[in-house]
Amino acid sequence: MIELSGVRVVYGRTIALDAVDLRIDEGVTGLFGPNGSGKSTLLRAIAGLQRPVRGTITFDGRLRDPSDLSLRRRIGYAGHEIGLYGRLSVEENISLFAALCDAGPGRVADVIAAVGLTDRAASRVDELSAGLQRRAAVARAIVHDPDILLLDEPFATLDDEAADLITDAIKAWRGPGKIAVVATHGAKRLKSFADSSVVLRRGLVASDRQRETVVMP
Amino acid sequence: MSVIAERKRGVVAKTWLLTRKDMTIEARGRETLPAMVAFSFAVTLLLAFSLPPDVVVSSEVELGVGTVPLTDVLAGFLWVTVLFAGLIGFARAFEVERAEGALDPLFLAPVDRAGLFASKAIANFVSLVAMEICLVPLFALLFGVNLGGRWFVFIFVMALVDLGFVMIGTLFSALAAQTRSRELMLPILALPILVPIFIAATELTGDLFAGGGVTTVASRGWFGILVASDIVFAVIGALAFEFAVER
Repeated sequence: MIELSGVRVVYGRTIALDAVDLRIDEGVTGLFGPNGSGKSTLLRAIAGLQRPVRGTITFDGRLRDPSDLSLRRRIGYAGHEIGLYGRLSVEENISLFAALCDAGPGRVADVIAAVGLTDRAASRVDELSAGLQRRAAVARAIVHDPDILLLDEPFATLDDEAADLITDAIKAWRGPGKIAVVATHGAKRLKSFADSSVVLRRGLVASDRQRETVVMP
Repeated sequence: MSVIAERKRGVVAKTWLLTRKDMTIEARGRETLPAMVAFSFAVTLLLAFSLPPDVVVSSEVELGVGTVPLTDVLAGFLWVTVLFAGLIGFARAFEVERAEGALDPLFLAPVDRAGLFASKAIANFVSLVAMEICLVPLFALLFGVNLGGRWFVFIFVMALVDLGFVMIGTLFSALAAQTRSRELMLPILALPILVPIFIAATELTGDLFAGGGVTTVASRGWFGILVASDIVFAVIGALAFEFAVER
């Protein structure tokens, strides 16, 4: 369980998140909101990539400590940018992050196949289209089978077929004790498998609902 | 909890993985080292034209009042060139991550920050040494420097200078990488701290160019400063890197 309490994040004089109180339980949580609502900042704060100026973030009751390697090992994150090295191949990139995250080498081929990139595994990332790069980024985020998966617009630039592959990969990844937070504009795709949803507006939580009551924006 | 097979790797193995990654990317892109070498060659050529054609590098020339030995000037030429060529390279140390947004997954990976620092420092060290391997023969040729059997002492001094330079350069390149004006920030942050190292480098190299040997170099206080700087900067770099990459 991830719990945010009174979290405030600022960029200079801009308040990106303010007084965010949120409890994220296991399952897939859809994170919605218009541009600039704070979705990416919320994911970055949970990941530990952005330090809140106020408030706390806890994982299973433990305060988030950015230097905690075991906690970092539990997180898979794919942000706005692809986060891969353009001059390395897809396989080299995924293998590198698998090794850094202590995943077994056999896992690399599996996640590349899961996102439908087996035939492009040897291609350099900077030679791939934006959609293929996005798929590779998701593969990188899940290669170590994290307990907490944070995805920022994973369906952006993807066609329906590729988006289905990513959806299937997330569904295959989910399991007991696993938490995914998926920020997206497109509510329809997440609607089929999200367990809860959070809507942000101007850095504030506008709604926080479980699946039974959720009305996708 | 995770059910996949895990293969725990130590900090040394992960450091090596990251170093190899940086070297592979540089070998494929050839962006940093050629720029460093081109800069160092251009500066050395320009400096060569600043001296009269018949000057002799010798310790036996009588100095007039208000003059300085040519050997000291040449040592200054060499280290100013290395300093700025190195900064060009260090400024790009995190560029490959920044450009592709790979800083986030890299900082999020369960890699000890000291290991990450060491990997970047090793990659920077290799680039710097490769640049110097290209520069020094050209420098010796253009300025008529002949160290005879004292080359190994010169290489030892260079290695000591490079170590301290790389530690500080790597630390501040990580800081600068997260700012908008990163190209400006690196020299502004690093140069004041690098001054003692490069003064020591110039003094010791001047001694070597003037005919000094191991005993001359080892007896100078600057040698101690160089060794102490390397140790202090290595410790500071490894410890402060955590804060340099903190956002």
